[in-house]
Amino acid sequence: MDFFLQQLINGITLGGVYALIALGYTMVYGIIQLINFAHGEFFAAGGYMGVILISYLSSQGVNPYACLAISLVLSMGYCALLAMAVEQLAYKPLRQASRLAALLSALGMSIFLQNGLMLTQGVYDRPYPTEITSGGFEIGAVSISYMQIFIVALTAFLLVGLNILVFKTRIGRAMRATAQDKVMSALVGINSNRIIALTFAVGAGLAAAAGIMVGLYYGSVNYTMGFVPGIKAFAAAVLGGIGNITGALVGGLIIGMVEIFAAGYISGEYKDVFAFIILIGVLYFKPTGIMGENVDDTRV
Amino acid sequence: MKRLLVLAVALLALGLLLAGCGGEEKKAEQVLKIGTMSPLTGPYAADGNDIRQGAEIAVEVVNEAGGIPGFSKIEIVSEDTACDPKQAVAAANKLINEKVPAVVGAYCSSSTIPASETLAEENIFMLTPASTNPKVTERGLKYMFRTCGRDDHQAPAAVKFMKDVEGVKTIFIVDDKTTYSQGLAEGVAAAAEAVGIQVLEHDHVNQGDKDYSAVLTKVKAANPDLFYISLQNSATGALMVIQAKRMGIDAILMGQDAVYHPKLIEIAKGDSEGMFCTFGAIDKDAPKYKEFQSKYKAKTGNEPGAYSAYAFDSATAYLTAVKAAGTTEPAKVREELLKLDFTGASKQINYQENGDSGSNYTVYKIQDGKFVPYWNSLTGEKL
Repeated sequence: MDFFLQQLINGITLGGVYALIALGYTMVYGIIQLINFAHGEFFAAGGYMGVILISYLSSQGVNPYACLAISLVLSMGYCALLAMAVEQLAYKPLRQASRLAALLSALGMSIFLQNGLMLTQGVYDRPYPTEITSGGFEIGAVSISYMQIFIVALTAFLLVGLNILVFKTRIGRAMRATAQDKVMSALVGINSNRIIALTFAVGAGLAAAAGIMVGLYYGSVNYTMGFVPGIKAFAAAVLGGIGNITGALVGGLIIGMVEIFAAGYISGEYKDVFAFIILIGVLYFKPTGIMGENVDDTRV
Repeated sequence: MKRLLVLAVALLALGLLLAGCGGEEKKAEQVLKIGTMSPLTGPYAADGNDIRQGAEIAVEVVNEAGGIPGFSKIEIVSEDTACDPKQAVAAANKLINEKVPAVVGAYCSSSTIPASETLAEENIFMLTPASTNPKVTERGLKYMFRTCGRDDHQAPAAVKFMKDVEGVKTIFIVDDKTTYSQGLAEGVAAAAEAVGIQVLEHDHVNQGDKDYSAVLTKVKAANPDLFYISLQNSATGALMVIQAKRMGIDAILMGQDAVYHPKLIEIAKGDSEGMFCTFGAIDKDAPKYKEFQSKYKAKTGNEPGAYSAYAFDSATAYLTAVKAAGTTEPAKVREELLKLDFTGASKQINYQENGDSGSNYTVYKIQDGKFVPYWNSLTGEKL
């Protein structure tokens, strides 16, 4: 039982990270039907920006928690700007082109960003300061680290924030309208280019937050770190119903859990296999994903 | 006008060509190119760059000492394998086109083996500073040499240490399914069973994983005396160590030569304290090593990595043999290579008929943020 509970906690933590990255995929897909393969790179860039800022601030003697909060906000902002620049450069000129062209552009962007990180930050892993993240407590034989709680709490907080943004604000309404019909929404006075850029920015900001959390949780960042979680988060988004915000959360949690339980009860080498078997199964039996793809109200 | 322009360009081109020919006639502008192949990108880039830089320093040293008669200068040509067998073969082909007579590399045994087959077709030397899988030198390739140790020596050495020094009764093994890490882990499992150490479980993770919580929860539940980590690189090793400590695993931690790297300590910091690693004994106080270390630091700004000294010695050995043979003709150089017996930066270099150079595994303990020699597997003595 302890073993099961411990794995459950591991799964929720990992699932939370996937969910945050998946949100970006889902939102961008929802609004312009583009699978942004460069999205995993925003996650990596966020992780790097985080370690740079945290190291700098803590060397200036700033309180560790303030350090973390400031770095989180700044990295999210940085990745939001980066994403807007990428959108302007690589996707906007191709908006009228075939979907394949945009997809290839996304793949190219991913390789470009990854190599950019390698050239500017070096090939070595960059360690995160671990003082903030150590510590935790035990309930029976189940150990929970503060970092795990922090990841789950921050995921929940950001999700609530995103929901408010999408469903309670004017910008959110504009986003949903643009997702439904770009031409009609433009006719009623919505600047769809601005809304699309904003969607990219929000998605990348969430990925950056995930990047910092992963860096803190696992202890280091690497320029290749975006690739695998990117693919997993993409799977999570499809699993939950791409274009659907709640779906991304559910999909992320499922992929995280399946991975952990497959590794825990079968073997670590099978975890990716099972995550993707689930994905293939869902696509086969319910191609719209668990939560459905075209529920207009929840679609961004 | 246009025609005139074309004519002028053509004449100019021809002129350049002739000038080129003239240069050739002067002769003796012969450059000796040494290839290196190692993962310069991807997750193993840290070790890969160490290898390239080690070889570069060897060339620098020989060039400074006056080079090799008959060659105007010696150069390094580096290719990236990314630790991928296909890319390694492509890199081997590129080096063949560059007409290198010898290659220092590769890093991953899974790259070295296919690349060496390609190089062997052209009778090109391959001297590996880092591939420890026994198969590397067991295929009867005439020009395959190995400067580091072998896994079938490393595994028993590690197990002997577990039993004799630490009195371990149960172990849990994790590898990441590469030719190297899995081969070594299986060797450890077999050796452990043979001496009566119980292998509670031998599990695998995937390369590039960051999250080891699931497998570490298993380790914690199994509660072994010792947790043996056989991963392909030091950065993932560090992640595993950090996560194991946070999970509250209090088993003895032990890694192998791919995990042994200053980066492990840099990333895992205090969490790595007390961990053991097997690695070939390199006497860091020996004058040869000190000399190499200061050159390395001056050139790269870093301490030499785990395999830098082996790469340095591999390149030095080859160049020494060429100098002695007075030619790069493979059969003659091979003869000279087998005759070599010199003190390198890593160890006494003395190649055997099959290309191996003997293993001298030592167990290192991480103490105060440094790898400290702890136990000698050849003599069984504490250091």
